[in-house]
Amino acid sequence: MKKNNFIYLIIFALLVVTISEMIGFQSISIGGVSIGLLPLVFAILITMILGLNILRKGFWKKVYSKENIEFAGKYLILIMLPLMARYGADVAPKIVDILEIGGIFLVQELGNLGTVIFGLPIAILLGLRREAIGATLGIGREGELAYISEKYTLDSKEGRGVLSLYIIGTLFGTIFFSIFAPILLNFGFRVEALAMASGVGSGSMMSASSASLVAQVPEMKSTILAYAATSQLLTSFLGTFTMVFLAAPLQQFLYRIFTRGDQHAKRAA
Amino acid sequence: MQNALRNKYIKYGLIVLISIALILFTQSIKLMKNPDSAPVTWMTIAGLLSLWAFSMIGIFISEKLNSSSVKVLREFPVLGWVSITSLVMCLLSDFFVDAIRAVDFLSITTPILTFAGISVANRLVDLKNTSWKIAVVAIFVFSGTYIGSTMVAELGLYISGK
Repeated sequence: MKKNNFIYLIIFALLVVTISEMIGFQSISIGGVSIGLLPLVFAILITMILGLNILRKGFWKKVYSKENIEFAGKYLILIMLPLMARYGADVAPKIVDILEIGGIFLVQELGNLGTVIFGLPIAILLGLRREAIGATLGIGREGELAYISEKYTLDSKEGRGVLSLYIIGTLFGTIFFSIFAPILLNFGFRVEALAMASGVGSGSMMSASSASLVAQVPEMKSTILAYAATSQLLTSFLGTFTMVFLAAPLQQFLYRIFTRGDQHAKRAA
Repeated sequence: MQNALRNKYIKYGLIVLISIALILFTQSIKLMKNPDSAPVTWMTIAGLLSLWAFSMIGIFISEKLNSSSVKVLREFPVLGWVSITSLVMCLLSDFFVDAIRAVDFLSITTPILTFAGISVANRLVDLKNTSWKIAVVAIFVFSGTYIGSTMVAELGLYISGK
């Protein structure tokens, strides 16, 4: 790690934080649905846009140096740890409440099968076949990546499907969930249910969706954060089991029905 | 070997330290912009130090279990261990709850997403190899898991009369 460039990374991070916080919480209205954009959305937009290859000249090249990008990628998980620790303080005071409705938390894990139920028909309709297996098994995080690469290898069409989803999720997942959660709130779903659903299996996506829910319903802050963190923890524990024993068989079953009589699909099924 | 191990934890410790320093910075900026937001007090500092300590304990547990023979324990993410560590400590003492809650939640998220944005800088070119079809599918996949869980939870809350 070149110490010089590392200083630029830190200064840049401080600048981005300052600018994002100064822009602050912005409410925009799209077709009567109000969407709150949090500083975190501006932070990720600014850093992604400034990181475009064409802009990486002169000074930016020092900020977005190979070492700095590698540092951010390799240690992002460590930088996230205080956030995960924060959730402990949100769950603890609500623990009795949460245990009381523990069954609901368990059952809503089944909702994660929605990736197959909603995603697979669309993928087949669009003409995707074996790619669809990789792209709809889950939200394409590390768990699915590992499972697909073990079963089909990453060089296969299934592998390409899951990799594409991984990339899209990495780039746009947090932005998507910070906008999507308030939209569903506008549709009349209860904020408690949306908070429970926030534990989709990615820490940053869960934080984005729970944070934007908090911005919409500040008086429910402690409940939202506690429920979101609990369901995220459950997904970490149960996610693999849901994927291997429920999502994958369901996916194979539906895939066979949807692609009946289709020559290209034979091999995957 | 012993030396290398110590260095590893020192390195992790410093990075987590950068993280909590950035949180403190963000909370101060937020306070400048909006004087009504969460103040920076000694409790905030205590909270940040608690977050640092729980993170380090979580890292330590995760590293130790890396060689465990139980697959689920070996693969359980370090993020989860940190949450569990913090939950246990917060259940043991209300002091931790009060201290950590003096740290503004949204101030934790902004610096993380800053680093997330920087970390994907080299991934943007990969998008070129991704077909628009998968992008459409991705929207349905992400919506699907969220809507699916929301509907089940909504139903569960309704049935249990909550």
